[in-house]
Formats: sequence, structure tokens, C-alpha cells
Amino acid sequence: MTGNTPPANDTSDAPPANGTSDAPPANGTSDETRSDATRRTFEGIDWERVDAERGLAITRWAAAEALALVGLVALLGYDALVVADGEPTVDVPGVLTWDVTGVQWLFALVLVVGVARVGRLLTRRPRMAARYWRQFRRNRAAVASLWFLLAVFAVGLVGPLVWKNPNELLDFGRAYRKPVVAGGSWTYPLGTDAQGRPLWNLVVYGMRVSMVVGVTATFIAVTLGTVVGSVAAHFGGYVDEVLMRYVDLQQTFPVFVLLLFALYLYGPSLLLVVVLYGAFGWEGIGRLVRSEALQRGEAGYVDAAAAAGASRWWVVRHHVIPNVSGTVITAATLAVPTFVLGEATLAFLGFTDPDVFSWGRTIAAGRGDLATAWWVSTVPGVFLFLTVMAFFFVGDALNDAMDPRRER
Amino acid sequence: MGLKRYAARRVAWAAVATWIAVSATFVLLWLSPDPGADVAAAEAAAQGLSPEQAQERYLAARGLDRPAHVQYLDFVTSVFTLDWGWSVSQNEPVMEALGESWGHTVQYAVPAMAVSVVVGYGVGLYTAVNQHTAADYVGSFVAYVGISIPNFWFAIVLILVSGVWFQDATVLGLSLEPLSFRTFYDPSIDTFTVANARQLVLPTTVLATASVASQMRYSRAEALEYVAADFVRTARAKGASGWRILTRHVFRVALVPLSTILVVQVLTVLFAGSIVVEQIFAIPGLGRLYLDAIRGNDTQLVLVITLFPVVIAILGNLLQDLAYVILDPRIDYGDR
Repeated sequence: MTGNTPPANDTSDAPPANGTSDAPPANGTSDETRSDATRRTFEGIDWERVDAERGLAITRWAAAEALALVGLVALLGYDALVVADGEPTVDVPGVLTWDVTGVQWLFALVLVVGVARVGRLLTRRPRMAARYWRQFRRNRAAVASLWFLLAVFAVGLVGPLVWKNPNELLDFGRAYRKPVVAGGSWTYPLGTDAQGRPLWNLVVYGMRVSMVVGVTATFIAVTLGTVVGSVAAHFGGYVDEVLMRYVDLQQTFPVFVLLLFALYLYGPSLLLVVVLYGAFGWEGIGRLVRSEALQRGEAGYVDAAAAAGASRWWVVRHHVIPNVSGTVITAATLAVPTFVLGEATLAFLGFTDPDVFSWGRTIAAGRGDLATAWWVSTVPGVFLFLTVMAFFFVGDALNDAMDPRRER
Repeated sequence: MGLKRYAARRVAWAAVATWIAVSATFVLLWLSPDPGADVAAAEAAAQGLSPEQAQERYLAARGLDRPAHVQYLDFVTSVFTLDWGWSVSQNEPVMEALGESWGHTVQYAVPAMAVSVVVGYGVGLYTAVNQHTAADYVGSFVAYVGISIPNFWFAIVLILVSGVWFQDATVLGLSLEPLSFRTFYDPSIDTFTVANARQLVLPTTVLATASVASQMRYSRAEALEYVAADFVRTARAKGASGWRILTRHVFRVALVPLSTILVVQVLTVLFAGSIVVEQIFAIPGLGRLYLDAIRGNDTQLVLVITLFPVVIAILGNLLQDLAYVILDPRIDYGDR
């Protein structure tokens, strides 16, 4: 496939810079080539070189992804075959004891694949990424939300290794200590709950739960929604009809209802929540991708690729999916809060593993002490509220940044 | 394709969808262990009896040991003939348990629904027409707060503020006691009384908040799509008033996608919301019944209440498909 995507078509095919990569053209080699190319004539472009460089950048991310996946599989194999059942996966006495659960394996897998994919998208079109970032940066509330979410994510990821499991800190002698804002001491900045567990530790462990649910379920939903949506749009006819009728059906079976039913049949499990939200929560993304892909399908580069002999699957994989990635990322950001809130609601109602410190569970536990110890429910509630709101702010700002009609 | 044929096709699809949903529920139920049988086995083991026998007896008593296709036919027949069996947790027929509780749910769910449509659409359209004004910014911020606040947390904060603090707080010498609403529902109060209205204020508020906010967001976004459309400009050029443009041109077209969202919203927000609200305010409605059924391993009742929102969704989608062609003359029947 030589010269399948002329630079002239680069209108909206890169994702936003949703991280710190505020890197203008300076270091991207392929970008230098491209800005040269626009100055030179079309015939003068050395497409072999452009392809080779772009290919190299993609290969690097793919290689890193593959390497990390192999490492992960090796670890999983070690846990499954070498470590005895019931023994912790990592056990260095005094330093770290960690029994990796099913949900955490899934989360690790999603992190590896997700980081590699998003990184690849961002570096593929650094110029577009920088432009979206400039648009995004205008919305100050969204930028603040982004930092907040990155902080929550980082603390949720490493926090449980730094701070102790709340259940190891049970001490009825220090129950109901006030938080600092209510005149408490700095020993327990957010106060303690009825069993003397510091709320900070409960909040940190809750961040982990919310992030695992939000990221993993959304990743599954995005993958399914993108595949189904782009396949339906591109193949049309009966394929489209059958897939979209299925989407209709899935929409009539609200995923929350399905979750309650499944939790009734199989008992509380975080893995079940994550997998079901991912597997049955993608109909919105699927519809969106389909309609976007239908619009893209009319674009010249799809005809050009087909004329150059690309197969239908190649066109979907290399032209349709990358070009709807902006829409997908926005939809994903707006899907996360729904999943996070759903999990917290289930936990509040009591449908959760006893060893999962969901914010919803802490809020439920503090309900009875509201009049005397308002902070037990309020502190995790504020964190849940801010996290959900931050996702909505970021998602809306991404939507605005990538809407071509909003260009000023 | 004419309107009649289109309507017939949509009705047929609704029937097929219902059948698929019921069948899928059966398959799920058939593939998984029965929680009630597990409880029976555990009880037998505790009494020193054989757990296997207890389990078999439990399954045989409910006809669950018969071949799958017999069970399936039986299941489908009983679902569609409204023969919904006996509820273990309520100790009465499922029908009666439902009959006693739906009234309590409707009392606050219908007002919440009405508020979210009227206020949500109203504010959404108003802010869309007055984009970038102070009212727009305030409205948008309120909408963000509304969709982000977890309803269960909002409910307990409201209980704290209204039920505890307002009891003896005063502002400028005025007691806030009139604003202190009942925080627990008393089912013995008659339906059409002031006392009943007062005790429904908090549940309605909690349930309505999220849906008002999301209807606001959606209607604003949809209306913004059309305020600059050609047909709106034409209407304005012909001298139509602002109100007429808003109601007859913008809102009429925007209602098509909005009605889709409304059906989905009604279900997810109201279903999930009613479980939470009824749990917190102790309302003996459908949500409470569902939770009791789950906790009491009452498969029969869980099943019926699970199918409830599904059937409502299918009917809602059907109505909305029919409303489509009436609301937006640009949609032609051959499309779907």
C-alpha cells in the first residue's frame, strides 16, 4: 500500500492529546517530512521514505505492546502454574504481599493495550494531536479535570502499594476521628470510620476500584462498539441489518437490570460487573461509530484505497477505524462515568465482594452515622462526585475540540 | 412503503424482540445454578440431612428437573399468559405482590418523569436559544452537577440537610422547620393528602435530578443542531416569532432524537433510581420488592421484575418509531 493516505486528507483523523504530550512538530520525524512535503510538489514526495518512517514509528509501539503482552502472559502463567492456589502471587515478607486477582489481570492487560494504542495514535499525527490539545486547553475546567483524573488514576494505581489495606488498620479505639476540616488532627486528615479505619486509605483503595471498573469496562465496550460499528457501516446489507437489530435488542435490555439479574444468579463479583458492563454497554458507541464510519466511507481516500486494490477488511482496519478514533475517544470518556456510577450504586446496594473497597460501600456504611459522623459518607461521596464530573468535563471538552464546526 | 405497512413491521419486530428477550432470560436462568436450590441444600446440610436430596426435592417441586424444552415451553406460556407463580419472599402470588407495590412507585416516579421532561426540555431549549449568556452558563453547570451527583449519596445528603439540620436551624430569625421533610416514607398516609405530598418531595427530587440534568444536556445539544438550520432561517425570514420558531420548527425536529433518549433514560434512570430511592427512603414499591426478592432468593419474583423494564422498553421503542414518522416529515418509511 504505497501512498494510501495523502497528507491532504488529514482533517480529523488524529486523537486529541489527552496526556501531557504537548509536543509540537519539533521531534516527530514523520512530521518534518510532511511539512516539507506540503511545500514541495506532490510528485516530489518520496513515499517510500514517508511510509518507512511512519511504519517504523508504528512498529516501535507495536513491538513495545507485544513485549509487554508477552511479559504479562509469562506472569499469568507463573501465577497459574507455579504459585499454589490461595498463595499470594508476589510474596516478599515485610515488603510486598500481593495476590493478583482476575480483575487485576484484566486491568493490566487493558492498561498495556490501551497505552500502546493511544500512544500510537498520538505519535502517528503529532501535528493534529497538538492542534486538538490547543483547542482542548481553552476549556480551563476541563484541563483542571484532566489533572484531577490523572492524579486519581496515579494514586489508584500505586496507592494500594504505599498505603495499607484498610482492614489491617481496624482499631475501635480510634473510631469516628474528625477530619481536619472539622477540627480533627493531621494524623487522619480525612477522619476515621466506625471501625477506626482511616478514610484516606478507604478512599485510595476506592480509587483503584473505580479506575479498574471505568477503564476496563470502557475498553471492552469501545473495542466491541468500534468493531461492530465499523463492520456494520462498511459491509452494509444483511450484515448491517443483523448487527443493528442486535444493537436495538441490547438497548432494550438495560445493562443495569442484566447486572442485577446476573449478580443474583452468580453472587457479587467485581469481575462480573466489569465484564458485563463492557460486553453489554457498547450499543451507544457502536451506533456512533457506524454513523461516523458511514460518513467516512464516502471520503476520497476510501475510494483511493479500494482503487489501489485494498481489500474491504484492510479499508476498515486502516482507514475507517483510525478515522473514527476521535469520536470513539470522546464517546469512551463519556461512557466511563456511567460505569463508575453504576458500580458504586451496586456496591451501595450491597452487591460487591467483601474485599472490594468501593466508594459506594463506604458511603453505605456511613449512612447510619450521618447525624453524628457526617464525614464517613461525605468524603467518599465527594470523591465519587468529582471523579464523575471530571470525566464529563473532559469528554465534553474533547467533543468540542474535535468538532470541525467549532473551529475558530 | 405506506404507513400501515411500516407500522405492521414495527409491531412485528416488537413481538420478535419480546420473544428473544424472554428466551434469553430463560437460557440465562437454565444455564445457572438456582440460588434457591443452593439455599435449600445448605439448610438441609445444617440439619444433618442430605443436601443433594434437598436440592433435588427443591428442583422437582418447581418442575426444574424436566427436560429443557418442556421447561422452556412452560416458561414462555406462563410468561405470556400472566401466570407468574408464587413469590417465596412475599409469601403470596407474584401478581398480588406486584399489585400492592406498584402504586407506591408510581406516586413519585410519574412526577419525577414529568418534572424531568418539562424542566429538562424547557431549560435545555432556553439555554440553546440564549447560548453564551449567564443563564446558559448557570444552566450548563447545574446540568453537570445533576448528572454527576450519585443519586444514593445525594439522597443521604438531602436527608442530613433536610431531616436533621433544618429541624432546628434558623435563618434571619425564621425557622427552617417547614422545609424539613419526612425522611422515611409512611405507607399508611392516604394518597391524596398534603402529608403524602410532603413525604414524596425528597424521593421525587432525588429521582428527578439526574434525569432533569441529562434531558437538559441532550435537548440543548439537539436544539443547537437546528437553531442555525436552513428551515429555521426560512421561518425567521417569513416573520415567525421566536416562540413559534422554537416550538414549531426547532423543537419538533429535535423531539425525534430526544424521544429516543427519553425511552432509554426512563428505563435506566428510573429503574436503577427507584431501587436506590426506595431502599433509602423505605418505600415499599417495586424497587424495594426487587431487592427483597434478590435477598430472599425468590427467583420467580426476580424474573418477573427483570422482564418488566425490558417489555416497557420494547413498547416504548415501538411508540417512538411510530412517533418518528409523524414528528419529522423528512423521515421516509423505507428507511427502516
